[in-house]
Amino acid sequence: MKNKTTRRAALNTVAIAFCALWLFPVYWMVNTAFKPYGDILTTTPRFLPFPLSLDNFRSAIGKPLFGTYLWNSLIVTGVAVVVSLLIAVLAATAVTRFRFAGRRAVLIGILVVQMIPGPALLIPLFLSLKSLGMLNTLVGLCLTYVGFVLPFAIWTLRGFMVGIPVELEEAAMVDGASRATVIRRILLPLITPGIIATSVFAFITAWNDYVYAYVLMKDQSKYTLPVWLGTFSTSTGTDYGGLIAGSALFSAPVIIFFMIIQRRLVAGMTAGAVKG
Amino acid sequence: MRIRIPLAAAAAGLTLAVTATACGGSDSSDTPSAATGIAGPGTGTGKTITVWYMEGDLTDDTVTGINTAFEKATGAKVKVEIQQWDGINTKLSTTLAQDNPPDVIDMGNSNVPLFAASGGLVDITAYKQELSAGQTWLDGLAGPATIGGKLYGAPLFAGNRAVVYNKKIWSAAGVTAPPKSYEEFTAALDKIKAKNKAPDFSAFYLPAKDWHQPLQFLWDAGGQIATQSDGKWAGALESPEAIKGLQDFKDFQNAYSVPASQDTDNLTPNSAALFASGKAASILTTSVGPILKANPALKDELGTFPLPGKSGKAQPVFLGGSDLVIPAKSKNLGLALAYLKAAASPEVQKQFVVGVDGWTPVSTELIDQTAGSISPLQQGFAQAAKISMSTPAAPGWSTIEGDKSLSQFFADIATGRKTPRDAAEDFDAHLDRVLNAAP
Amino acid sequence: MSMVHAKHRTVPSVPPDSSAPRKVRRGRRPSALPYALLVPALLVLALVVGYPLVRLGVISTQGYGLRALFTGRPESVGAANYQELWLNPALVSTLVRTLVFAGSLAAGTLLIGLAVAHLMAAVGPRMRTAVTLSLISAWAMPNVASTLVWQWLFQPTYGVVNWLLTAVGIGDYQQHSWFSDPNEAFAVIWLLVVWQAVPFVALTLYAGISQIPREYYEAAACDGANALQRLRVITFPCLRPILLLVGILSVIWDFNVFNQIWLLTGGGPGDATTTIGIWSFQRAFAAQDYGQGAAIAIASVLLLMTMTGYYVRRLIRAGEAL
Repeated sequence: MKNKTTRRAALNTVAIAFCALWLFPVYWMVNTAFKPYGDILTTTPRFLPFPLSLDNFRSAIGKPLFGTYLWNSLIVTGVAVVVSLLIAVLAATAVTRFRFAGRRAVLIGILVVQMIPGPALLIPLFLSLKSLGMLNTLVGLCLTYVGFVLPFAIWTLRGFMVGIPVELEEAAMVDGASRATVIRRILLPLITPGIIATSVFAFITAWNDYVYAYVLMKDQSKYTLPVWLGTFSTSTGTDYGGLIAGSALFSAPVIIFFMIIQRRLVAGMTAGAVKG
Repeated sequence: MRIRIPLAAAAAGLTLAVTATACGGSDSSDTPSAATGIAGPGTGTGKTITVWYMEGDLTDDTVTGINTAFEKATGAKVKVEIQQWDGINTKLSTTLAQDNPPDVIDMGNSNVPLFAASGGLVDITAYKQELSAGQTWLDGLAGPATIGGKLYGAPLFAGNRAVVYNKKIWSAAGVTAPPKSYEEFTAALDKIKAKNKAPDFSAFYLPAKDWHQPLQFLWDAGGQIATQSDGKWAGALESPEAIKGLQDFKDFQNAYSVPASQDTDNLTPNSAALFASGKAASILTTSVGPILKANPALKDELGTFPLPGKSGKAQPVFLGGSDLVIPAKSKNLGLALAYLKAAASPEVQKQFVVGVDGWTPVSTELIDQTAGSISPLQQGFAQAAKISMSTPAAPGWSTIEGDKSLSQFFADIATGRKTPRDAAEDFDAHLDRVLNAAP
Repeated sequence: MSMVHAKHRTVPSVPPDSSAPRKVRRGRRPSALPYALLVPALLVLALVVGYPLVRLGVISTQGYGLRALFTGRPESVGAANYQELWLNPALVSTLVRTLVFAGSLAAGTLLIGLAVAHLMAAVGPRMRTAVTLSLISAWAMPNVASTLVWQWLFQPTYGVVNWLLTAVGIGDYQQHSWFSDPNEAFAVIWLLVVWQAVPFVALTLYAGISQIPREYYEAAACDGANALQRLRVITFPCLRPILLLVGILSVIWDFNVFNQIWLLTGGGPGDATTTIGIWSFQRAFAAQDYGQGAAIAIASVLLLMTMTGYYVRRLIRAGEAL
């Protein structure tokens, strides 16, 4: 019994140490963001940001065009999430529910796309959007993100759908339900965790991207928030306070979003892993 | 270098070479009409041109000053966008390839050769007389904008570096007058160093990756980055003079600047902010503005002087600054030219570029005319500007800045990762390859 | 697009088991429906990935520089870009470096991820929630932001890491620059990448572990198996499909890590952290030699495909056994 208690205590200690280690960068970001300017550049750091100062946040939000960048980020991310989900659900249905020529090629293609080094497509994509007249448009940017998200989204959703017995649908069809009803009533609820996981992925891809937004958009009025983060590093130096506060503001929606769906996300993983 | 320059608008005798668009069949309608000249009064009414400025180049007041002069001259409006330096070459490359680029771009002088030689910019040779209004433009600005005898940009402003020192810290160490020689200078720094023992304090903060600063030591010793003969560039860092200059830099840097600065640039951490917070007694910088912004209390504590070289003269400074260029695909050539003219005009230069921003104006005449009116703090910069150098006017130069190899080169030397000779040997090979590459 | 993927990994689907065949309709006549369902996806993919990928291949056979970008009329140079790449003395060292980087990043991620997954399975529910939340906040932090925070943590003069190491007495780290020494620079990158990658792996593996029936372990315990044996005999076999998938994805993603390296070190000091992705980017965007950059990128994809080919085939076959 004693052995078991020490074991528990040891495990808890390790777990606490792990949490501390993993949370430290996030904590340090928040800590720095709330410090007054003079407390940031000091060789003996303070571990609590008291007195609290909102100066860094003020200077971050006060940057020109912050509202525009925020709005663009929200629009682009929102559209990218919804559109990629719709398209991915359709495609995943096709891949899992039907046998057809080229199925294998589609699967392999999806995985191979993961192997392309990120910035490599910058110029080719620039050229192809240019010939479509979609440079410098938010539509072009959305389309880009949807394309980047799709392979992974289809792969993920496919994993969830494969796990759902066809018999379930067939039973429903026998009962006279139409295919659309089957999809809506049976398939969709079952793949909800997959949809959540996919939307998280799409959200992050679109929200995070810097390079493509920077190169494909010409006008400042069409930039997104990551480009805004770049404005803290100026030719006369980096405003660390503003930059870190900006990073915190930029991260906050994602972290909050993750926290909210945390249970479902983990549940989704469990569901995905069942088949292991 | 082979540069094919088809003449698009030769009909009216204007040698207006619009390399990029002239041959692109469907694009040919975009090329400026033969009748294009510098836009005159009223011709721009109802039109708006887009101008890109680089972050930190000009203050809002000065930009407004230029815009007002332009609007008065043409009746057109101006839309200004401020671009960040990070990744700017990539941004410019893709922007110049689009069909509707901005009409005027403020471009760092050392970047102009790349885009001029690759056909991204309008040849404005025909308008040089009119744009310069008879003044002699500074070679450090007009030089890089001149490729194969053709002019691709009009100068906007020049900037150079001088030593800014904190009088309070200096006098606390017993030094009251700015040094006249290298020996006086190092003696002063030695005293300051002895007086201030804090580990993060620098008598002279010199971040090695801000390559403009070490270059001064190289030039002072008589060294060159690269030399050109028969149209071919060759790295020149292995010359005995250059090696000596590099060694001088290393000795000076290691003696007076904190170890952390051996491998950082002037931005992270910010040299001006460090200086403003009293962590450095002196720095080499382009302007006192950021220092006073970070710590207005230093207003009466600052002094400036050109860095005295071992050579006995002031160290040659890197003449930085910007040119205004016109993208080859600009749709408003006449108005763009008028904008260039407004920015380079003596009135705007005197009142705003010198008067408001404290930069060096674009012509030797203007430097002489404004010499009497500038503040004591600006005098140090003006004196330093008298001996100035620029980087090689090769299209490949942008690569040297862009791939961070030059910063790395000086950091390698300052940290002792490589001896000056080894570093020079490696970097000369890189220069030979890159400077001669076709754009 | 691994740059986009490189950090934020979401739920993987594990290769389905061999019961998959049952689930596919048999005996139906071929229908146009599956193709119709695929059309939107294929259209977008063709536009955003397919065509640009082909274009990338074409560019890699061209002398594609700024002039070509401006005029749209590049010169064909055949295999010259590949030839130049092949003859470049930096090729071998860059490849080796990339493999070492990817290997150590993936190994670190998998080992720590596996350990954390076990830890989660062993502690109580409250502690498990704490660990999950810590993982999720690291995972959710956008990679641009976390890289900036990393720069700040390891800043030579004001970085808290130097202060901590000095205060704890590990050594005098005041003014210590982490990006001057190749090994230290890589260590900082490693920490960042692993910090961001572990949550995905740990949560997925935990999900897998929690599905292993308890009885297996109880039976093994009755047979007197020790912890190591239980790991070898029960945990690993049960987790194999997940480990395979997570492993492949980790290798692919870590092979292509870009943002973190580019923002932290720019490939330096010297070329000590220049992986093949960084190299391709430098050639394309710092030297404006898009042809050469494309050739490097294509070579990199081919290399990665060869390396992972066997496992990818296994993965596909597992999910494809029709």
